[in-house]
Amino acid sequence: MTVALHSAESPSPARTDQPLLEGRGVSKFFGGLAALTDVDFQVYRGEVMGLIGPNGSGKTTLFDCLSCVQRVSQGEIHFKGTDITKFKPYQVAHLGLARTFQVIRVYRKLTVLENMLLSLQWGNLTMRNKFRPNSAETEARARQLIDFLLLKRVTDEKAGNLSGGQQRLLEIGMALMPDPDLLLLDEATSGVNPTLIEEIKSRIRILNEEQGKTFLLIEHNVQFISDLCSRVFVLNYGEKLAEGTPDEIMNNQEVIEAYFGAEAGDDDGF
Amino acid sequence: MLATWRRYKLTRWLALVLLIVLILLPLPQFLAPERKLVTNSLLFSFTQLFMLIWMASNWNAFSGFTGYVDFGHAVFFGLGAYGTGVLMVKLGVPFPIAVLGGAIVAAIFAFLIGSATLRLKGPYFSIAMLGTFVAMREIVRIIKPITGGGSGLTLPPYLNRPLFYYVTLIGMAIVVLLIWLMRRTQFGASLIAIREDEVGAEMRGINTTRHKITIFCLACFSTGIVGGLWAYQNTFIDPDIVFFESRTIELVMMTILGGLGTVAGPVVGATVLYWLRDIIWANFLDYHLIVQGIMLILIVLFVPEGIMGIIGDPDSTSLGRLWKKHFGQGEETEQPTTTTEVQS
Repeated sequence: MTVALHSAESPSPARTDQPLLEGRGVSKFFGGLAALTDVDFQVYRGEVMGLIGPNGSGKTTLFDCLSCVQRVSQGEIHFKGTDITKFKPYQVAHLGLARTFQVIRVYRKLTVLENMLLSLQWGNLTMRNKFRPNSAETEARARQLIDFLLLKRVTDEKAGNLSGGQQRLLEIGMALMPDPDLLLLDEATSGVNPTLIEEIKSRIRILNEEQGKTFLLIEHNVQFISDLCSRVFVLNYGEKLAEGTPDEIMNNQEVIEAYFGAEAGDDDGF
Repeated sequence: MLATWRRYKLTRWLALVLLIVLILLPLPQFLAPERKLVTNSLLFSFTQLFMLIWMASNWNAFSGFTGYVDFGHAVFFGLGAYGTGVLMVKLGVPFPIAVLGGAIVAAIFAFLIGSATLRLKGPYFSIAMLGTFVAMREIVRIIKPITGGGSGLTLPPYLNRPLFYYVTLIGMAIVVLLIWLMRRTQFGASLIAIREDEVGAEMRGINTTRHKITIFCLACFSTGIVGGLWAYQNTFIDPDIVFFESRTIELVMMTILGGLGTVAGPVVGATVLYWLRDIIWANFLDYHLIVQGIMLILIVLFVPEGIMGIIGDPDSTSLGRLWKKHFGQGEETEQPTTTTEVQS
């Protein structure tokens, strides 16, 4: 499927040495609880990177910090060379960082098309334009993305009536509407049937290889991570446990122990 | 029937016809005053109704669209009334400028209180507004040299009923039209996004605080104008009649009955409740507040999406489903079907 889902000035998928997103000593404390401790990582332009870890390891907290939904307690976060540590979520979004959530956040009472139209590039709108109806181009882009994400038949359906998988796709579409550079997808395959997982995978691949979008994925589905990611980053108890290619990570004894305990050494996968 | 209603967009035609009738209504008084087809009392009733629709629309533009329930909206009505009254009585400012001044006072106060409370998510704003309402009534009572305190202010009388009728009709129509237009802009869409999921809205690039403060100030400015008009028409204001507890409750009831977050909701809800209120007062004078409270509970329980919700989507309310069950045969094809599989 060939679709023009990005603006003319979108970057090529070529990976560069300059990190697109970088965390330096990121820590987050909730009272006495250390959810993240001194986490360093880099995400490079044009790559698909996986973020894995057992439940409660701090993955979603890290996403919240990266998207500035939560403030970090210590450390710095840089996106496109800009220090975004103290930014507001909308400012990060304007810079070109979009995310989805572990618990699906779509506007349930609105239709699929309305959901998409509500998620456009607000940062580029002047106040005068905000008081004008949606342009034909905006709606055309929304419909194009709806088509790309296989939701055409439910365009005018209320989002709350969609299946979990369709809502996941819609949320990805909403994140794509502003044409971001980096997408953080939090458990994009959670509660989704295997057929649809393959569709989500193929869409991410197209967006990455053809449109140059960079992805950081939180996932528990090892096959999904292996198929898509060039690098994987592992968190455990809020600390960085390992980083490497999917093969390296799957054979890393520390990672296996973190998932299954010290006794499990021969299990295949997580 | 509902399907026919939607298909031919009868609501728009009905609104247009209704507006023309309302514009023509006072004419018999001018053309044939001796016949008394249209009395001053009737015009006064309509003026009150237009003001209620106007205020309910203002309340809905902020609370209905953003989901932040303002339990102290009467504060801005009061500030508009007192701003107008003080400017006219103490400074001798002409009415049109005074009413604008009163509205600006309301908007400035809205900006100050909104800047402090609308940064917070959750119920803090509602609680803060409730407290503000009680505090403001006492402040107005205390600053006697300016407001006249508990004795109130008497404004210069100007009992031209047809003029007030037209001013409030035009004002109400403009506000409803502006809200209808706003609903179709990206600004209006972002307010709905805030209501539906504020964290998600912010993550999708909406500066939620700025949007909330902007619409709050606009709505309060508009309510301030109504307050000024009301004060001039009533010719007397004091803290107890201006900062009246049930004024905000009425706005809430009207909007919920008509349809929260819809453009036509406050118009329909205010009209129904205005006439219903007369019936309640006539029959339950001593208990009218109790009856109103029970009505609010019943509305929330059985018509949570309001009258417009029943018309738009009968499945959304128990009353709508009951209607559909008994009278809705043949409309099945109109209802949306739940899709559970991806259609590619």
